[in-house]
Amino acid sequence: MSPSLPASEAPAYAPRNYLNAPEKGWRSWLTTLDHKRIGVMFLVATSVFFAVGGLFAMLIRIELLTPGPTIMDAMTYNRLFTLHGVVMIFLFMIPAIPSGFGNFLLPMMLGARDVAFPRLNLLSFYVYLTGAAVALYGMIAGGADTGWTFYTPYSTTTTTNVVPILLGAFILGFSSILTGLNFIVTTHTLRAPGMGWMKMPLFVWSIYATSIIQILATPVLGMTLLLVALEHAFGWGIFDPARGGDPVLFQHFFWFYSHPAVYIMVLPAMAVISEVVCAFSHKNIFGYKAVAYSSLGIAFVGFFTWGHHLFTSGQSAVDAGIFGILSMFVAIFTAIKVFNWTATLYKGSISFKAPFAYFVGFLFFLVFGGMTGVALATVSLDVDWHDTYFVVAHFHFIMVGGVIMAFLAALHYWFPKITGRMYPEGWGLVAAVMIILGFNFTFIPQFLLGNMGMPRRYFHYPERFQALNVASTAGASVLALGLVIVLVYLVLSLKFGAVAGSNPWRSRGFEWDTPSPPPPENFLVTPVITRGPHEYDDSAPDFPPSTAPEPKHAS
Amino acid sequence: MADPAAHKNEHSHRKRYLAVWVALAVLTVLTYTLARIHLPGAWAVTVALLIAVTKGTLVALFFMHLWDQTGANRLVFATSLVFVALLIGLVIADNATRFPLANPPGSLGALPAGGADRDLPEAAAETEGP
Amino acid sequence: MQASPLAHHFESLDKQAHAARLAMWIFLATEVLLFTALFAAYSLYRFLYPEGFAQSSRSIETWIGFVNTLVLVTSSFTVATGFHHASKGNGKGTGIFFGLSVLLALVFLGFKAVEYTHHFQEGQLPGPFYHYEGVKAPGAPLYFALYFLITGLHAFHVVVGMTVLIVVGTLAYRGKYTVAYHVPVENAALYWHLVDLIWIFVFPLIYLI
Repeated sequence: MSPSLPASEAPAYAPRNYLNAPEKGWRSWLTTLDHKRIGVMFLVATSVFFAVGGLFAMLIRIELLTPGPTIMDAMTYNRLFTLHGVVMIFLFMIPAIPSGFGNFLLPMMLGARDVAFPRLNLLSFYVYLTGAAVALYGMIAGGADTGWTFYTPYSTTTTTNVVPILLGAFILGFSSILTGLNFIVTTHTLRAPGMGWMKMPLFVWSIYATSIIQILATPVLGMTLLLVALEHAFGWGIFDPARGGDPVLFQHFFWFYSHPAVYIMVLPAMAVISEVVCAFSHKNIFGYKAVAYSSLGIAFVGFFTWGHHLFTSGQSAVDAGIFGILSMFVAIFTAIKVFNWTATLYKGSISFKAPFAYFVGFLFFLVFGGMTGVALATVSLDVDWHDTYFVVAHFHFIMVGGVIMAFLAALHYWFPKITGRMYPEGWGLVAAVMIILGFNFTFIPQFLLGNMGMPRRYFHYPERFQALNVASTAGASVLALGLVIVLVYLVLSLKFGAVAGSNPWRSRGFEWDTPSPPPPENFLVTPVITRGPHEYDDSAPDFPPSTAPEPKHAS
Repeated sequence: MADPAAHKNEHSHRKRYLAVWVALAVLTVLTYTLARIHLPGAWAVTVALLIAVTKGTLVALFFMHLWDQTGANRLVFATSLVFVALLIGLVIADNATRFPLANPPGSLGALPAGGADRDLPEAAAETEGP
Repeated sequence: MQASPLAHHFESLDKQAHAARLAMWIFLATEVLLFTALFAAYSLYRFLYPEGFAQSSRSIETWIGFVNTLVLVTSSFTVATGFHHASKGNGKGTGIFFGLSVLLALVFLGFKAVEYTHHFQEGQLPGPFYHYEGVKAPGAPLYFALYFLITGLHAFHVVVGMTVLIVVGTLAYRGKYTVAYHVPVENAALYWHLVDLIWIFVFPLIYLI
């Protein structure tokens, strides 16, 4: 593998790259089999839906400025928080990092020319668009008011148009499954010669773990949503107490997917962070095996914890006890990662660029959000906090403070590789500060509100909660402004950004050994891997030497 | 061009398939006859499921070739079974250990069918429809 | 006629076949988890309403389920034989045996159609269409709702499996696959065996307990 460019050479923009080869134009993009183009299309589509979900969030926050109606009526409010959840989770959080960055980077990080099944990959994009269209239709036709969790019996009896949104989410599930399937097979069969499992970049390990969850959990959600749709449309009665059904059964099924789903969202974020930490401290990861295996640990143990969403639903005390303890176990793996990332920083050569700023935000928010998660896993405490803003703040700390920070870090870190250009670093740091500060002002008040007893999804609230609500909305405005600034300078940099060259960060990730933007086939010659993936220092403690005797084919 | 390693002992597979088919047919007859005897409650379920598991194992190992395939495919299948057991097990454990009145009406130990203040099926017809 | 050519990003036909096989097993795992939700619902309600479920199960024609099980198991055998022929390079044999399997699947569906008609006449359709008086114990409507869901989803997969067998069987008959590369035949067979495998569990749960 070629080393990064010496300082005397000016960075070059690769003239023949995946953006203009083998063909240009709309049709070539819409029929492409190139994983990089598919990844970019996913990034654009998911970012659009992120903006839509964000708009819904701002409308909610504006409504909550006063205890009574502010800019809308109660039914509209119910629809808005439902749609905010549906759009953010199914249309952005689940697909964005895996199908966006994962698609672009995974084959390059493995030294491969493409994913295992390029046509399935394109299909996954079109299935995503179809699901999005069906869900959008549902939103325009009135939208559901059930919350994104669709609890029965309300979801099976509500008069709002819940079926298209259920079907949209059902279709989106297939896109998720196709992506996961593709990534697992790619990781097993397309590694470059010399790349054993223990030489894979940590990004790949986490995406692989994500794919396992996507494969095993999504079908259960699909069936569950279908059952609700059938019951709403035809009254089949699986969850209807009048016919002997148990509405809590829906909650079991729903959360069997939706808890692992949060790990589908968070593991790719951790994938990004592992890469960013090494690149911006110019150091080997501390504890490669621990970080790699903890990804698998999260994926599996995450499946054993779903009942913590049912603590106050009438679930038995026996099950509550089991789920409570197991929910605490899964935190151990995250803690392992946090310790290892922090230890990686020690004696590193820190380069405080925008991606690193987002990493700092990520670290604090993941730790605090995660700790409140362990607190919520304590049944006796959850009885007080369930369905209050404490829970809302907890998951937004992880989803926004964790995953969105990582998404932004990824956008900035890999922007030069994807586009061949640099973004303006000054603005990058300004936006990062605004986002981190805005985030704090948005969600810390919500912890306080929840602890004081303000329920979630409520349109009216008592006067005494207003001050904190106003503070939260103010914070949300700053957060939103920061995100808009990011959008503006990234779009402008597409045209006016400085040429980046193949490796502006002097990162040792394998994807940086290609020109920027990369050629369609990624590598002109199949690379032979002789060193580790984050190897900045040959004397790293638990890492094999970079000079292997001779390259052998990957098993 | 042929890859001998992937298809070793092909000649013995036909006999294997035949043997498995006969076994499956015999087990099907067995489970059907046993069911007609109406064994007491828990035994009926256990026996029927044991026979089903045996049949399923034969299909998976020999018809689906897991017997002579790589670890990855076996691991995928075995893992999916673990999650089947997980969902079914913990769901039943929930209702089995609940405070009885929290179970759906008509089930063991709960309120009578139709709930405390409703009857089937007239009330269902009234409350039906969007 | 040429077998599936080596794709540009795979290093060998063998690797490509291994990838396709692994992908199929992963897909089968998703199918297993899809049915799991229904099996979980069935198991739970069977546990909660033992009398209602037992009586309802006895009210349907067990012998049809029994015959259908034998039919499906035999179709699995013919599919396995069809694959065996493909592995020997005998595409015509594959086509014939896959065709036999499709015929057996049609028999299966025929019996199911008879059963469904009977249920319709008895008023055992789920939800608001249920007016079967035969079983008074609570839980009977749930039994039938789940009966239709499980057997309906399974029948849908039978149809999909038949389509796959027809397509792949026809291509095999025309000599598209070779001894070196016949993984589509193997994958089609795997799908069919899973359909059979699921029925092996559906039969005792629905008909026998």
